[in-house]
Amino acid sequence: MTTISFAPKRHVEVLKAWMIDTLVWGYTFLVLFKIVWQRIILDLRFIDFSWSEPLACLALGAVVALAMFFTRCSIGKALYGLIDFQDGRSWVRESHAVLTLVVLALTFVAGIMVTQVSMREFFSESGLAGAQRIFTALLNPNFAIFEDALFAAIETVFMAFIATSLAIPAAFVLAFFAARNLMSGSPLSFAIYSVLRFFLNVTRSIEPLVWAIVFSVWVGIGPFSGMLALFLHSVASLTKLYSEQIESISDGPIEAMKATGAHPIQVIWYGVVPQIILPYLSYTIYRWDINVRMATVIGLVGGGGIGTMLMQYQGLARWNEVGTLVIVIAAIVWLMDYASAKIRARLK
Amino acid sequence: MSQLVLEHIGKVYPNGTRALKAVNISVEQGEFLVVIGLSGSGKSTLLRCVNQLHDISEGKMTFEQADVTHLKGRSLRQLRSRIGMIFQQFNLIPRKTVLTNVLSGALARTGIFKSLLGIYSKAERELAYRYLDIVGLREKAYVRADNLSGGQQQRVAIARALMQNPKILLADEPVASLDPATSHSVMKYLQKVNQEMGVTVICNLHFLSLVRTYATRVIALKGGELVYEGSPQDIDENWFTAIYGEDAVEVTID
Ligand SMILES: Nc1ncnc2c1ncn2[C@@H]1O[C@H](COP(=O)(O)OP(=O)(O)OP(=O)(O)O)[C@@H](O)[C@H]1O
Ligand SMILES: [Mg+2]
Repeated sequence: MTTISFAPKRHVEVLKAWMIDTLVWGYTFLVLFKIVWQRIILDLRFIDFSWSEPLACLALGAVVALAMFFTRCSIGKALYGLIDFQDGRSWVRESHAVLTLVVLALTFVAGIMVTQVSMREFFSESGLAGAQRIFTALLNPNFAIFEDALFAAIETVFMAFIATSLAIPAAFVLAFFAARNLMSGSPLSFAIYSVLRFFLNVTRSIEPLVWAIVFSVWVGIGPFSGMLALFLHSVASLTKLYSEQIESISDGPIEAMKATGAHPIQVIWYGVVPQIILPYLSYTIYRWDINVRMATVIGLVGGGGIGTMLMQYQGLARWNEVGTLVIVIAAIVWLMDYASAKIRARLK
Repeated sequence: MSQLVLEHIGKVYPNGTRALKAVNISVEQGEFLVVIGLSGSGKSTLLRCVNQLHDISEGKMTFEQADVTHLKGRSLRQLRSRIGMIFQQFNLIPRKTVLTNVLSGALARTGIFKSLLGIYSKAERELAYRYLDIVGLREKAYVRADNLSGGQQQRVAIARALMQNPKILLADEPVASLDPATSHSVMKYLQKVNQEMGVTVICNLHFLSLVRTYATRVIALKGGELVYEGSPQDIDENWFTAIYGEDAVEVTID
């Protein structure tokens, strides 16, 4: 038994720990009921879903969590450091560690069921025949479309290049407003910082693929929509990387430049820029590399370039042509990867 | 008339820390004034108030008969350009050559546009070479500053400060990250600047043996207050305990 003291701040942590426990237990019961009981033991073909089940599991979880809360068997308490760990005690004896393992194992089982892993299908006769058909075609690429493919590939590389170069100035300016050390001075600047950070995080967490779909409706299918998608995503991630670089610069050279009586613009140019320029270049080249890779995928949803071509031939099930395109894409990606790694190594 | 006069200077940081309390100092042209005191006694704060890297909260500061307590913008930059500063961590511009670093001392009198393009007149370049000669680093002019040893970096920092053609040179623990032999070599360059070029030096130091060798006058701070002022020869046992406390033992550096 651990004693729980209700100091003001602990109060909140205890509550949070209990909520975590409730979620863990609720999840465990739901998996046990839906997957282990209904799917595996009863082997039901169609499992219907109603909201009452997860809610019931959650309620049950809340009760169990409350009961277990006064033992050491509480993941929430362990996470918030509310359990005094005894030195030299084996983790096997820590019930919360064991519980964590059980939950992970259950998740693994559930995952296998949900993704419909089936060895039978993987090695079925028709399955193997299909695999043979597509691999034969892929390995016999039709080089008649090679020139078209190359043309589309160039479009893809340029799309990535323009997206990256347009993103640089935008990110360069935004980075100063997204750097905590520069913006934590006054409440107003900190508010700007927080809002900007929020929008950048949202923009970044939406995949360029999704942005491409949005923009293809907006400006029509083609390289322009792909470029816009990559541009937006690049601005968000470059701003983050740039601003982290600004946050890590040392004040020394800045102070020294101020002390010479330099103008603020000179202070930035001589005290800040030399500290960030090489990492900036390195990130930017890396970003271009990523953009080329993404540009091929973005084409699949109508973003133009070699991805669109791939989608068209795949739709027609012309696997020999698809083979050619796969080779061209692989070559570009490898080339960009290689070149960017080489250049970045030089920029240290 | 004194070159620099501080009257009742007080400094309160935004977080409420009182780092200086009613400090009165007069600095004469050509002095080698050393500031001593425990860590946290306000030595760095005092130097940074002189060139107003930190603004002065209370009191009055006079530089060459002009009130410079609360300057802003252009006039503040002008004041700073006449006061050079070197730092414990050297604070050179990384990834730039020694020459560029020295030339950056001339920023205050260089047009913004020219300085962005890195265009300096022939006269400025020659001046930079001359100061590199003085600190004995001419042959390193095109080496990246961060590839030099600590002592060399501090000498580049001295050349950069000289480039400002300063009336006063502030030195915030200039040798605290250097070994004893290098410390003396850097201190000798400061002495040279002081004696041969007539630049007033105000220097924070930790080692009393260095103080006795180089200072012409010493002041001591304790908890932000001035507790001692006198000649370096007069620092005896009693003063030592008064400044550094009962348990302190003098450590020497030769
Ligand atoms: N930027 C700052 N904000 C708030 N308080 C500060 C700041 N800089 C210094 N202080 C405080 O002011 C007091 C004096 O600091 P200062 O750096 O001037 O001491 P110092 O004598 O130079 O010490 P050291 O020998 O360690 O360099 C200390 O209590 C310190 O914590
Ligand atoms: Mg200090």
